[in-house]
Amino acid sequence: MAEETFEPLIIGFCCNWCSYAGADLAGVSRLQYPPNLRIIRVMCSGMVHPNLVMDALTKGADGVLVCGCHPGDCHYQEGNLKAQSRADAIKLMLQDFGIEEERFRLEWVSASEGPRFAQVVTEMTEQIRELGPSPYRMG
Amino acid sequence: MVRIAEEWLATCGGCEVTVLDIGEPLLDLLPKLQFVHMPVLMDHKYFGQTGEKEFEIPEADVGLISGGIRSEENARVAQEMRKKCTTLVAVGACANFGGIPALANLYTLQDLMDTVYRKGRTTEPADNPSEDIPPLKDRVYAVSEAVKVDVGLPGCPTTPELVAGALTALLEGKPFSLPERSVCDDCPTKREKKAVATLKRPLENVQLKEGQKLEDVRCLMEQGYLCQGPATRTGCGGADKVPRCIRAYMPCRGCFGPIRAGANPMVDMMGAISSIGLDARQIEDRMATFNRFVGATGRLRPLPR
Ligand code: SF4
Ligand code: SF4
Ligand code: SF4
Ligand code: FES
Repeated sequence: MAEETFEPLIIGFCCNWCSYAGADLAGVSRLQYPPNLRIIRVMCSGMVHPNLVMDALTKGADGVLVCGCHPGDCHYQEGNLKAQSRADAIKLMLQDFGIEEERFRLEWVSASEGPRFAQVVTEMTEQIRELGPSPYRMG
Repeated sequence: MVRIAEEWLATCGGCEVTVLDIGEPLLDLLPKLQFVHMPVLMDHKYFGQTGEKEFEIPEADVGLISGGIRSEENARVAQEMRKKCTTLVAVGACANFGGIPALANLYTLQDLMDTVYRKGRTTEPADNPSEDIPPLKDRVYAVSEAVKVDVGLPGCPTTPELVAGALTALLEGKPFSLPERSVCDDCPTKREKKAVATLKRPLENVQLKEGQKLEDVRCLMEQGYLCQGPATRTGCGGADKVPRCIRAYMPCRGCFGPIRAGANPMVDMMGAISSIGLDARQIEDRMATFNRFVGATGRLRPLPR
């Protein structure tokens, strides 16, 4: 029973130029996706410091999704590449903290990819629903 | 005359040695100070052992505490010190962040007791001792997690200059704090933002020629030594500011704790390591390594299984 009532809380960091617009498009196109994502708009995926991700995951979030422009499309040139190399460090830290790898995802979503955004969020929500609450989730 | 009380909790005594190590500046300070309580010199014991003495700490203007809170006794002494002292100073990594003993926070108390009293290969299995010793807390706590602390002097041990500086400031009624800058900010080594080697084991020798000035030595981290300077607060260098370990051609191990309250040194180090092209995968036991001195204050806890 308890599992059925578990609703994952996922924090989404979306870059202003592509992914936030993509999320917006999903919204105005009235695409259905689970309401578990709380979107935080950032200027670029490259400014999402690993600190933010680890803090979220150890202080109550069940998952973190970082979305940026496709490689080559970053409006600050290489922000998304930076996000990519940070993602490697984040995955390593997830191991160190004993957090399942699936709780963190980095995805490229362009302004025209509303459906893709909805699909990513749906997938991730289902995956985390199966994993259950974050081991660090506080009462 | 300023009355000083000093207490040690879960401590090694190194920080007390530092207080005595102030040297000449202590001679200038001493006439203005009166040590009214200091178990390391006066051998007070409160619990078990020879515990017939009454638990009493005299009133004081300044209280110095070294060591973290491991036992119920530590917690009660910390509370009593807070009650009796106008200004409370946490001295050393242990008092400020739990220090080395707080590495135990990676395990539950049950695990710890099992390992020590029952699972050791050379140990006769026995019950946890309980007679004449205070019970342990569930984990190690920093002093500031139990009572309000007014001034923090980090470091393992802290430095004589900091103790003297803080006491002088308090005597003059001035505030005392450390800048929110990193050990790297005060490090004279040469940096090119790129590693020139892969990660080395900690005891391999730093490359330098005899008599070579620190200014001409390549940043130790860029040479492949794990140096925690980027994620550690500066302040250990004394008058000329050159960080204490770097001066001895040793990498920083992080004993001054995070650059600002709440920062996560492990996450910062992982960032710093990958940004110069070193592979963090090669580092053994990253959790303990990067949180070596800061295991209290929520940084180390048993991993979820
Ligand atoms: S900080 Fe270091 S020197 Fe000071 S009490 Fe703790 S272990 Fe000893
Ligand atoms: S990493 Fe270490 S050696 Fe390099 S600049 Fe920072 S403190 Fe100095
Ligand atoms: S260099 Fe680092 S480890 Fe060494 S004394 Fe300074 S802060 Fe502590
Ligand atoms: S602006 Fe979109 S990832 Fe940099």
